[in-house]
Amino acid sequence: MSLCAADISFNRDIRPILSDHCFSCHGFDAKKRKAGLRLDTAEGALTANKEGRVAIRAGDLKASELWHRIGSTDPDSVMPPPETHKPLSDVQKDLLRRWIESGAPYQKHWAFETPAPVPPPQTSSTPSAPQHPIDAFLAERWRREGVSPGPEADRATLLRRLSFDLRGLPPTPAEVDAFVGDTRPGSYERVVDRLLDTPQYGEQMARHWLDVARYADTHGLHLDNERQIWPYRDWVVRAFNRNLPFDQFTIEQLAGDLLPNPSQDQLVATGFNRNNVTTGEGGAIDAEFIFRYAVERTATTAQAWMGLTAGCAVCHDHKFDPISQKEFYSLYAFFHSAADPAMDGNALRTPPVVPVKSEKDAQKLEEFGTRIQEAERAVEARVKGLSYTDPATLNPPPQARDIETVWLEDGTPAGARVQGSPSWVTSADGPVKSGKSALRQRGDGLIQTVYEGLSLDVPAAAKVFAWVRLDSSSLPKMIMLQFFQGDWEHRVVWGDPDATDWGVKGKPGRQPAGPLPKAGDWVRLEFDAEALGLKAGQPVTGIAYTQNGGTVHWDLAGIGGRVDPARDPRSSFSAWLAQHQGKDSKEIPESLRKILKEVPADQRTPEQTRMLREHYLARVCTDTRTIMDPLHAIVADLRRQRDAFQDQLPQTFIWRDMDKPRESFVMVRGQYDAPGEKVGRAVPAALPALKASGPTPNRLDLARWLVSPEHPLTARVTVNRLWQQFFGIGLVKTADDFGSQGEPPSHPELLDWLAVSFRQSGWDVKALVRSLVTSAAYRQSAAVPPALLQRDPENRWLARGPRFRLDAEQLRDNALFVSGLLDGTLGGKGVRPYQPPNIWEPVGYSGSNTRTYRQESGAALYRRSLYVFFKRTAPPPFMATFDAPNREQFCSRRERSNTPLQALQLLNDVQHFEAARGLATRMMTEGGTRPQDRIGFAFKSVLSRPPSPDEAQVVGEAFARFQQRYQADPESARKAVRVGESAPRAGLPDAELAAYTLTANLLLNLDETVTRN
Amino acid sequence: MNPLLEFHRNQTRRQFFGDTGIRLGGLALAALGAGKLNAAAGTPPVARVHPPLPGFPHFAPKAKRLIYLHMNGAPSQLDLWDHKPKLQEYFDKDLPDSVRNGQRITTMTSGQSRFPVAPTMFKFHQAGQSGRWISELLPHTARVVDELAVLKSVQTNAINHDPACTFVMTGSEVPGKASLGSWLAYGLGSENNELPAFVVLTPNWSSKADAQALFTRMWSSGFLPTRYTGVALRSIGDPVLYIDNPPGVSREDRRGLLDALNRLNARTHERWGDPETLTRIAQYEMAFRMQSSVPDLVDFSGESKATIDLYGEDVKKPGTFAASTLLARRLVERGVRCVQILHRGWDQHGNLPSEIRAQCKDIDQASAALIHDLKARGLLEDTLVIWGGEFGRTVYSQGRLTRTDYGRDHHPRNFCMWMAGGGIKGGISYGETDDFSYNVVENPVHINDLNATILQCMGVDHRRFTFKSQGLDQRLTGVEESHPIQALLA
Repeated sequence: MSLCAADISFNRDIRPILSDHCFSCHGFDAKKRKAGLRLDTAEGALTANKEGRVAIRAGDLKASELWHRIGSTDPDSVMPPPETHKPLSDVQKDLLRRWIESGAPYQKHWAFETPAPVPPPQTSSTPSAPQHPIDAFLAERWRREGVSPGPEADRATLLRRLSFDLRGLPPTPAEVDAFVGDTRPGSYERVVDRLLDTPQYGEQMARHWLDVARYADTHGLHLDNERQIWPYRDWVVRAFNRNLPFDQFTIEQLAGDLLPNPSQDQLVATGFNRNNVTTGEGGAIDAEFIFRYAVERTATTAQAWMGLTAGCAVCHDHKFDPISQKEFYSLYAFFHSAADPAMDGNALRTPPVVPVKSEKDAQKLEEFGTRIQEAERAVEARVKGLSYTDPATLNPPPQARDIETVWLEDGTPAGARVQGSPSWVTSADGPVKSGKSALRQRGDGLIQTVYEGLSLDVPAAAKVFAWVRLDSSSLPKMIMLQFFQGDWEHRVVWGDPDATDWGVKGKPGRQPAGPLPKAGDWVRLEFDAEALGLKAGQPVTGIAYTQNGGTVHWDLAGIGGRVDPARDPRSSFSAWLAQHQGKDSKEIPESLRKILKEVPADQRTPEQTRMLREHYLARVCTDTRTIMDPLHAIVADLRRQRDAFQDQLPQTFIWRDMDKPRESFVMVRGQYDAPGEKVGRAVPAALPALKASGPTPNRLDLARWLVSPEHPLTARVTVNRLWQQFFGIGLVKTADDFGSQGEPPSHPELLDWLAVSFRQSGWDVKALVRSLVTSAAYRQSAAVPPALLQRDPENRWLARGPRFRLDAEQLRDNALFVSGLLDGTLGGKGVRPYQPPNIWEPVGYSGSNTRTYRQESGAALYRRSLYVFFKRTAPPPFMATFDAPNREQFCSRRERSNTPLQALQLLNDVQHFEAARGLATRMMTEGGTRPQDRIGFAFKSVLSRPPSPDEAQVVGEAFARFQQRYQADPESARKAVRVGESAPRAGLPDAELAAYTLTANLLLNLDETVTRN
Repeated sequence: MNPLLEFHRNQTRRQFFGDTGIRLGGLALAALGAGKLNAAAGTPPVARVHPPLPGFPHFAPKAKRLIYLHMNGAPSQLDLWDHKPKLQEYFDKDLPDSVRNGQRITTMTSGQSRFPVAPTMFKFHQAGQSGRWISELLPHTARVVDELAVLKSVQTNAINHDPACTFVMTGSEVPGKASLGSWLAYGLGSENNELPAFVVLTPNWSSKADAQALFTRMWSSGFLPTRYTGVALRSIGDPVLYIDNPPGVSREDRRGLLDALNRLNARTHERWGDPETLTRIAQYEMAFRMQSSVPDLVDFSGESKATIDLYGEDVKKPGTFAASTLLARRLVERGVRCVQILHRGWDQHGNLPSEIRAQCKDIDQASAALIHDLKARGLLEDTLVIWGGEFGRTVYSQGRLTRTDYGRDHHPRNFCMWMAGGGIKGGISYGETDDFSYNVVENPVHINDLNATILQCMGVDHRRFTFKSQGLDQRLTGVEESHPIQALLA
């Protein structure tokens, strides 16, 4: 077929050639541009260079250097150069020739022009002419190609198609009967509306968006630990169900946190850009990952909303599309100040997170708040009634005395948590210094017993002490006492101080105390608490008895010091005041600290003194402890209860910016450690201007810009993705690339009409879906005559109905649904159904909390696939085998492969074989009594239609064979009906149930079953 | 129009196992009226299930198959291959600043106050005709050293495991690209009609420390069609997922079910005319064949005692590295294009001497046996074998250092790998490092160069091997210039 010149469209015919063969050296990227020539703009191509030569002279082949170069046989002069391995075909050369001859008209890349309202083509008023605007647009192409659209699909097939598309589940036989029987006008539209209103609509729509949002339940890199962000997934489901307009859907996900008084839901929505993969790998470099996360989020946003492969511009100016490297980093600047850390900490809840509360939860939390307040008031009231005399005011003051507090004697101190497995020996089997027993530690390398959760006082002028007895035949390299007061950097070492590398030698973190004590006898070790950085008046909450090798007995350890009531801040109010006067003591509540810091002692008001005294008596003074501690305990206990309650509430990752934004730079060659020119936040110049609400634009401005009426991409990209969802292939086939390397739309006017109508409808997603599925094009039969298949194998003309394999989730859900096993509960934490052994284990990091797969039981086995826990580094096989992405990055287009591994899974997976038994059970209990009735029932459940006579015969014969075989082999029958956790229905004979199970297994594997026809 | 011919026209290698249209089971053929086709066109040739792309290979390949022994976690070059006798004098002395030259180090050691040199505690000796220096940890490998090209100057970009593994396997640190094996399966197909073109094995390991994770992205097809994803054969449970029929279902039951399924699906095809339906029939038949070919593959009972002895005792235990190498030989023998064995446990930050000893015991005899065995069967000449990790380890000790105890941090600047077999010159060593094994001083081999070399051996010009994705012509060797290393090629 030859094209006449007038038929040539720059965007359709010429730009793809130039883009693929020329732009990498003669395009937008100024740094890589050769010979100063650019062919992506008319100006560049049509302007003569210094020597007067011009690449293209409109209408004049002979004067066009380009034409000579592409026809040259000289390897040094021919274009494209041979080393690019991208020669032009004769057809391409011919197109270029015609284009130049016709005046070489340029067009801006179609996708960057704002779509203009296009009226649907006028159709004649004959009843057979297309009524629906979509069909009117398609009819032009049909006319051009000389094909006619297919007939409408039969009612049952149509309902099954619609039901899978809108709910992800097949219709029940009753629904089919009702629809087939409803002959009144508008029956189809009514069923569309009914399905759009089911909660499963949101689940079905969310599935697709979750691929775009790269949602998963683990962090994705290195340990790949669990992450809690499933409330985001549930938000997406709800957003579709309440038909949240797509502009709002956009704004809440990209900038919900910046809305005025954002609701909990709007914060949850910002999880969109927290779904990226993150690392907690030891040794990783923070700056590198901060950079990578921002790049990933920028690229994902650009791709999800604009269909732009902006990622190319990370390292260099985009070669094909008008995004310079600087523009990429200007976009990146919007995402560069996220408050989440570079290292995810391998934590379930990497901040920022928000608790997700139901109304009931909020009420309960409020109750806790009230009770805590009451308990605190009781503390205050009791303090007011206390009588206290400051010992410093007594005359004579009380005597100072030495005290010694024992911290360790005969076993674990009360209330302490212990690490290590201490061995306590009594005097019957070893030396004991005091009490009934001593702690014995022996072995190689570092050995220690650690006690935590203590609260031990440090008096003034204190010395820590411990009794030890070394064994002369097994000396340690060193022995060490370690204390926790804020941290563990309080250590004292006897023996070789280099036999440990903790802390810095000679500092409180590792104080050498001298050689090892004499072996063979009990020796009291002592060391100055101050030299260990232990502060008087602050509690020590942990102690460790540590040694390197050898055999050591430890006994009777504690702290000694001097208590002088009149001078001790813990018994004398005036001493305490003096201690903190003028200082900024962190342990004192802020309001009181301010008084102490800023108000001179002699200028304190009586009210201020009263507040200080009450705080002192309630929380500091040791003399009033016996009275106050029980009251404090009530408060603490309530707080603990509230915290525990809050802790078990789900939380979810959200977006928040840092208080002080990071500065952003162009990163040279995309390297995290090579900042170049500094950039501010801005959008690419080829796109409409951004309206900033303040001095610097923020993410909210960006989100609003994406959904502004002038924006050429967002609406087109979105309607195209939905078109792809319902028709199997987008009007722009490369749904993830609307740039010049992507394919131009098959029906540009239709795409623009859909985009403009979508925007004008107020971004009404349900209305758009309704419009798509009510078109005659959608309702066509999918049967394809061979001639049409040959001419249009991908169905780009839409002259037949779309037919494609069900998605991974739909296949599993379908089996569960028709078997009667499905648990349709909406939302919640990811579930772990059947999974073969050794999917997680061979790949999991030993320390990961998703290393071992723990299958759940009961209802969790039968929940919809949307809710199955998704581990990124080892996705569930039912997903991976059927082309689900691994959610490591954005995906808007799943493949539809057809492999033997899929056959094996659908035939043999316990989930599917158990489902087959479920269907068999229904055949036997709901399907009548005769085999042919039961088979008919199964056909209607699985395919929404009765079998044809010969189908009934094939299946009937197969069933008869299975039944014969299982009657002859009861043991096999017994096994076959006990696959899976559910028990076989009582009263059904094994052999018969097994035969029906295999029959159901057959029906669930039919091509027609696994396909949306 | 004959639907079967039509089917062929429309099939463009669409499936994981490729175009199986004319190898349908007898019943399916009958159901489709293919008998008529036979009458008209003669007996159809036995089609390759995984045919190569048109124009592939680009030139006559030296290697037809690849076995990649990936030592996950990064083995120490200093303790195995990179002999640095002078280092003994530097024991516990600080690594000279002039050597380190301000290079980045991981945050695991960047806080260390000093970087004391840890010479290897293991003895090196010269082995083979080539007199290659090799550590006492690899006594068996020493005996096949004349078959190996030892690369001492391999370099990578990444300093941590996750990105480095992703890089070594897919040519990019960022997830989402296609793995080496997937590229090979995509471009070259496979000569086996009953097994996947790209098979992955993940044996167990002996190190006691926490092992680094593997990621399915290391054998993922990335942007390539998913059917080119590596299939991980499993040592526990079904070797291929769901290969076994459910309890109480026999092979005859399955055959009976498939016969009925094929008949019904043939009717579906008549009704809709969709070529996918025919592919599905073919894939179910393929699945049925795999149900017998896979158990046969993993059944070692036919191997001679000599072979078993060659690989060592471990080979009898499923899931060991030894069992995996023997399985790898059986796979390539059956024409599988690429076998990748990922052996974990090489991340020795501390306690290196005892850990590496255990790890070498896992792999030494079996790696050498694989070379011997392939050679004895005439397979080595066109099978490429590669051994190596994702980066190297530092000359300075991480943590405690004594003569017999030390650890080593990550070192991306140079590490050792070896290549052997089809297309590779044996008995050579390539590239040199400085006296501290810290910097390459001669002939660096970047991972992209390594991958270009592998493709070269397999008959593929890496520059012309592209796939369009996300607006770019994606390449295994990336956008920066890279070259096959000519000196390695036989």
